[in-house]
Amino acid sequence: MNDLANRARGISSLRDFLELLESEGQAITWNERVTLEPDLRNIAVAASRDANGAPAIIFDNMVGYPGKRTVVGVHGSWDNIALLLGRPKGTTIRELFFEIAGRWGDAEAQISYVPEGQAPVHECRTESGINLYDILPVYRINEYDGGFFLGKASVASRDPEDPDNFGKQNVGIYRLQLQGPDSFSLMTIPSHDMGRQIMAAERTGLPLKIAVMLGNHPGLAVFAATPIGYEESEYAYASAMMGAPIRLTKSGNGVDILADSEIVIEAEMQLGERVLEGPFGEFPGSYSGVRKAPLFKVTAVSHRRDPIFENIYIGRGWTEHDTLIGLHTSAPIYAQLRKDFPEVTAVNALYQHGLTGIISVKNRMAGFAKTVAMRALSTPHGVMYLKNLIMVDADVDPFDLNQVMWALSTRTRADDIIVLPNMPAVPIDPSAVVPGKGHRLIIDATSFMRPDPIGEAHLVNPPTGPDIDALSKAIRILQQGAAK
Amino acid sequence: MSDTLCPRCSSASAIEDYRGREEDTVVWTILRCKACCFSWRDSEPASTIGAGVRSADFAVDAANLDRYPKILQQ
Repeated sequence: MNDLANRARGISSLRDFLELLESEGQAITWNERVTLEPDLRNIAVAASRDANGAPAIIFDNMVGYPGKRTVVGVHGSWDNIALLLGRPKGTTIRELFFEIAGRWGDAEAQISYVPEGQAPVHECRTESGINLYDILPVYRINEYDGGFFLGKASVASRDPEDPDNFGKQNVGIYRLQLQGPDSFSLMTIPSHDMGRQIMAAERTGLPLKIAVMLGNHPGLAVFAATPIGYEESEYAYASAMMGAPIRLTKSGNGVDILADSEIVIEAEMQLGERVLEGPFGEFPGSYSGVRKAPLFKVTAVSHRRDPIFENIYIGRGWTEHDTLIGLHTSAPIYAQLRKDFPEVTAVNALYQHGLTGIISVKNRMAGFAKTVAMRALSTPHGVMYLKNLIMVDADVDPFDLNQVMWALSTRTRADDIIVLPNMPAVPIDPSAVVPGKGHRLIIDATSFMRPDPIGEAHLVNPPTGPDIDALSKAIRILQQGAAK
Repeated sequence: MSDTLCPRCSSASAIEDYRGREEDTVVWTILRCKACCFSWRDSEPASTIGAGVRSADFAVDAANLDRYPKILQQ
């Protein structure tokens, strides 16, 4: 194993990863004095222009927050993702895809527990008089956002009806809007694990306690945004993927959290309460609407000494959102399709969380690519997100858009396009017919293939005539005789 | 309660949530509208918080909050 791979396996915290990024020229410190608005947004957007090579940017001189640090763009480029995977800068997206796909479900999870008293995340703790603005140098991410959002918080929660089940414990990235010094709202949808848990808590009246982790192990950050099964643990996946142990500890309200996170906010949902949330500039590049979302009350905050506040720029792409989750959206679809169809050779669902996906497949028979496309629509992520699917042959690299355009130009027949009307849609897709419902598109850009040769349709001519009629009569007479 | 009008819904129900300080000087203040839940920093550009400058597309009608859907209903 080479040095980079060993260093990647040694990462257990955001700080470890920033050190690795710095040594490779992939993290920089912005020493100049910056305003929270609009400077942070402007600098993050400027960095997003370089999806291949942008560095993480650490701000340590923000107006009104002397001594505090904020970092953006930790997963903001393919080079940073390559280093996380132990691969050198310049590794192609295709190679990174196969690196992740190759690790999928490949290794055993290694979870270790750190006593709360020894966990770095609990170095400093506040249980009363909490003002989140004291700890978090938040800023308005896009200019018409409805408030100050935490865009890269991994939210850990237990199933309110099965709180002892480790696998059903969920870790997901959900946008959080501060609603005063010690409250925030959380946006989710019923199909997400968190939505399911909120609805279960409100249906049963059971409490829902959560721990919001900020500034996390960079391997967990990608898994918190990855669509895996409800009973699968994101911690276990992250450990298996990194090929290294994940250190957990307990939050004060009994949730498993990363022992080395920068900041953890413990909170409890206010059953049945809703507050106005949004708009928020979302990953399709447009603002969400204003809705009434569940409210959480903060009960305690733990953090490391001199914590680093990690946030993300998200909006019209490319942004860090796309590099954070692009490959981890593609790999599970690939793995799920390959179970039934080993003819699938690669999946590129990098675009807007998979609103457009490109799948390479070896046609087993005429029309086969369309069958595979239908299966992709029924994968956990495909159900809501895969809106436009482009099917290409295995000789086309789906990560090379020039090749994809060539296939579209030379292999697409207009009657090989399927529109599936009135399907489920992501509510924030601005092209939806109504939010939550829209059309799907499948373009079969694989080469034309003839059906299997079936030969000429020579008809079978069974014997007919008086002899056969007489035989039928004889069968009936024998049958009647047998019945007596 | 401050006399400041909310940049989004024009209600006069803003409260102060936090003051950013450098040494002993307040350099900005975070306010929150109790009517429409908009939060802002008083140092933000006029395009976000300036009356008459901010885009009307993002205004909220505090007299008609029923129009905003409630998520996760069952």
